[in-house]
Amino acid sequence: MSNLFSGINARLRGTSNKQNSGKTPASPISEDGRVNSPRGLGQRSKSSSNLSAASVSSASLSSKLPPLPTSPALSQAIGNMASTGDEVLSSYRLPQPLPLWLNPVYAKHIVKGNFMTLSSRPKSVEQGEWVAHHVVEHYRNLWNFVHVIYAKESNGNNLCNATTCPRMSAGPNHSYTWLNKNGDRYERVELPAIEYIALMQRWISSKTDDDKIFPTDAAGVSFSHNPSIANTALLTNADEWIGKRSGFPKDFASICKTIFLQMFRVYAHLYWAHFVEPFYHLNLEKQLNSCFSHFVLTATALDMLKPQELEPMQPLIDLWAANGTFPPGSKAYEYANLKVGTRLLQMAGMA
Amino acid sequence: MDNQGNRLYLNFGSNNERLPANDRTYPTTPSTFPQPVFQGGQPAAAQGGAQQPQAYQQGGAAYQQGGYFQQPNAQYAAQYAAQVGNSQATDYAAAGQGYGGQARTTTPGGANNDPNTGLAHQFSHQNLGGAGRASPYNSGRAPQPAAAPGQRPRTADSRGQQPGYGSYANAPPLPTQNAQADYFAAAPERNPDKYGPNANNNQKKCSQLASDFFKDSVKRARERNQRQSEMEQKLAETTDARRRESVWATGGRREGSYLRFLRTKDKPENYNTVKIIGKGAFGEVKLVQKKADGKVYAMKSLIKTEMFKKDQLAHVRAERDILAESDSPWVVKLYTTFQDTNFLYMLMEFLPGGDLMTMLIKYEIFSEDITRFYIAEIVLAIEAVHKLGFIHRDIKPDNILLDRGGHVKLTDFGLSTGFHKLHDNNYYQQLLQGKSNKPRDNRNSIAIDQINLTVSNRSQINDWRRSRRLMAYSTVGTPDYIAPEIFTGHGYSFDCDWWSLGTIMFECLVGWPPFCAEDSHDTYRKIVNWRQSLYFPDDIQLGVEAENLIRSLICNSENRLGRGGAHEIKNHSFFRGVEFDSLRRIRAPFEPRLTSNIDTTYFPTDEIDQTDNATMLRAAQARAGAAAGTGSAAQQEESPEMSLPFIGYTFKRFDNNFR
Repeated sequence: MSNLFSGINARLRGTSNKQNSGKTPASPISEDGRVNSPRGLGQRSKSSSNLSAASVSSASLSSKLPPLPTSPALSQAIGNMASTGDEVLSSYRLPQPLPLWLNPVYAKHIVKGNFMTLSSRPKSVEQGEWVAHHVVEHYRNLWNFVHVIYAKESNGNNLCNATTCPRMSAGPNHSYTWLNKNGDRYERVELPAIEYIALMQRWISSKTDDDKIFPTDAAGVSFSHNPSIANTALLTNADEWIGKRSGFPKDFASICKTIFLQMFRVYAHLYWAHFVEPFYHLNLEKQLNSCFSHFVLTATALDMLKPQELEPMQPLIDLWAANGTFPPGSKAYEYANLKVGTRLLQMAGMA
Repeated sequence: MDNQGNRLYLNFGSNNERLPANDRTYPTTPSTFPQPVFQGGQPAAAQGGAQQPQAYQQGGAAYQQGGYFQQPNAQYAAQYAAQVGNSQATDYAAAGQGYGGQARTTTPGGANNDPNTGLAHQFSHQNLGGAGRASPYNSGRAPQPAAAPGQRPRTADSRGQQPGYGSYANAPPLPTQNAQADYFAAAPERNPDKYGPNANNNQKKCSQLASDFFKDSVKRARERNQRQSEMEQKLAETTDARRRESVWATGGRREGSYLRFLRTKDKPENYNTVKIIGKGAFGEVKLVQKKADGKVYAMKSLIKTEMFKKDQLAHVRAERDILAESDSPWVVKLYTTFQDTNFLYMLMEFLPGGDLMTMLIKYEIFSEDITRFYIAEIVLAIEAVHKLGFIHRDIKPDNILLDRGGHVKLTDFGLSTGFHKLHDNNYYQQLLQGKSNKPRDNRNSIAIDQINLTVSNRSQINDWRRSRRLMAYSTVGTPDYIAPEIFTGHGYSFDCDWWSLGTIMFECLVGWPPFCAEDSHDTYRKIVNWRQSLYFPDDIQLGVEAENLIRSLICNSENRLGRGGAHEIKNHSFFRGVEFDSLRRIRAPFEPRLTSNIDTTYFPTDEIDQTDNATMLRAAQARAGAAAGTGSAAQQEESPEMSLPFIGYTFKRFDNNFR
């Protein structure tokens, strides 16, 4: 069922987001814009508008809410208590009329069926190995689309350029800045989307190509611990982390989370800024939808994306939960507000 | 934990709730796999592009047009309907049957010892699986097999009401088109031509890669699920703790290794060349050894520019597809394909026994018994290829390899036609010329443009192919073994491979192919006039049955044995007493004698220049570079697998390495 938090709480937690990004090892471009041996990456949502959104549309509610939510039961309870689909939808403060990608007619796919079959981990496979696999697959997928907006046209411009997209944004309420290391300090730099994306691409591939982070030696592969089968006291060790058994480093999970978050932002930018130009015109929106929905389903199932991080794309997630793209029982479905999704379907005359 | 518990753990029955979310497993039986949206892919997008905006802008009237309605029905029905009817695989015929009977199974656990256990889960999980069904808001809606357009655009036009939508008669008044236009930004008319050639080029890559991604992912997930069930089976068979632990650990490691292999880029530098064992116009075959683990493979490398020049793209694709799709003991195994700027690489199993040509050269003729063995094995091999939906078209002794035990495997599918669109040279020409995603061009090719995700699809596509392109027109191959109908250009079908079989059998018994001549021109002529030119020499005594079989194969297509299937040939009296089912398990008449796993005794390596193409190419490029005085100006901007015609070439099999 619904989850008001995913929409609204994310706004409330703009602050906590900030803290998190502050902690993320920052990364860095030098002033000429080149990457200096990136160690990490951090940027944040410029959440002033988010906060105001929360304060406008759900101030009373927000004050009552505990800061950390998302037990489904709790969010469901609140979701039921609270507003109609229309009310929640309006709390998203989306532009009117709604963007084309929220029109259920254009939220369709090139494949049907249960995508969870592709994201659920085979139970004997070690979690780190599974996460690594999906990082690489989704990265490849996403770049397939980025490639399209990178295309240089005869006038020498990319489809996405400093004029079309002077900032890395995902709609009016979200924009992202790059953390640039300047001496000991990190400073936020606002970059044209295309530059931001290029930097991020380099940063991500610097991680995935590093076999200390993504080991490639076939000999190092392990399997998942199964207490019902192996009695060996392998786990329950305080010093245990995702992927340890297979030779992934301690910070592997946090690196992967950052990668997923970054990829999510790129997807969000593609939707908010480029859905029509060029994907719709090039008849690629179904491909984009399929890849992105699979991405969300995977990233949430693997706990690589948190509900509040989905905010810029929340209404589409709501829609996909309502139209059956996200199967009930998946985290993505849990994080969605079905009322909003159903309302969107109604608006299109499809519910 | 007891077996039953484990099984349920794996099999996502009603016990799901006990599992942590990350261990939640979803049914991966055919019906719940993501499947292509009908009319999906390229033409879908193209058609939608042309028609949808129009429909919305002009209001209800547009919906009256049959053209609009047919498409959405096909599309939405396929997307949202329950998995029924023709979307079920023939290969999953069992699943299809089980469907009716088991659809209402609510206790999957009960079916766990059933070999069809996967099916039970498939059905018990309809609620999790299906798209539209899932939503509680849909609960009142019965799945509509043929037309359950969960999201069919609603209009005020009553013509749009599908049967079964009666329940919606009481629904609140529908928003009008205008209202909808108010809610959502208006969809502009699609204009794919508004961008330059680069964008259009990328459009094709993007669309192709996305399709390939899902196609590959689904195939891998399905195979993974299969292996998972096998592991469950093994776990269930024993209570021995150590054995169970080892089954579990081995299973996990294999899957993990495969995943690691998938995300690791392969490159020729990972292999040492032992010897060049074959050379041809488009590339070479080398015996190589993987540096990491010393495993031995045959690596075929094809020169991209040559493939391009000689119009071989479709053939490369055909070979890659057939090898990738087959898991048959009769077909040489393909482990992986990869590419770099200059070459396409196919890493295949190395068959140390050489080929039948070498054998024939060595022994000149075979006895009737030995001939019977090889011809019987070749029948099975050709049958296996045909079952995959391919016509080999180039069956000849050089393409019949002998494995470690002396048994037959087919190779060299470069000329095979599978009636796949991607194997059609015209397709590549269109792709390169860049006008193919116009709706009209595709109107007749909807069926084959979909992502070919499911076996059901393939059977449908094959049906479609059979009806529409049963006759493929083109002339290929080396002449001696080729059926006359291939030359004459009147179209040919699967039975052309049986002609080739006849000529090979003739050669085994007689010592030369029946239509051999001084030059290939004469050979062509003889083949076309086979009635006059087929001649059994008087001095060689052939058994009556052998001669009869040869004559039943080397004859006009209408009368040819095997036209109705391989069983016609197997039932011929020449094969009396042959147990086809166990043929591959008996000892072969000739077993290669080898001194090591890199023994190339059975290959004519002395006759082959051992300088490899990569070396020659580098030398040529260095000369060209020196001549032009420009360094690496033509630096490739993007990764080689992005070069359009070769997209989808890369392939990685879960294979013996991980089993």
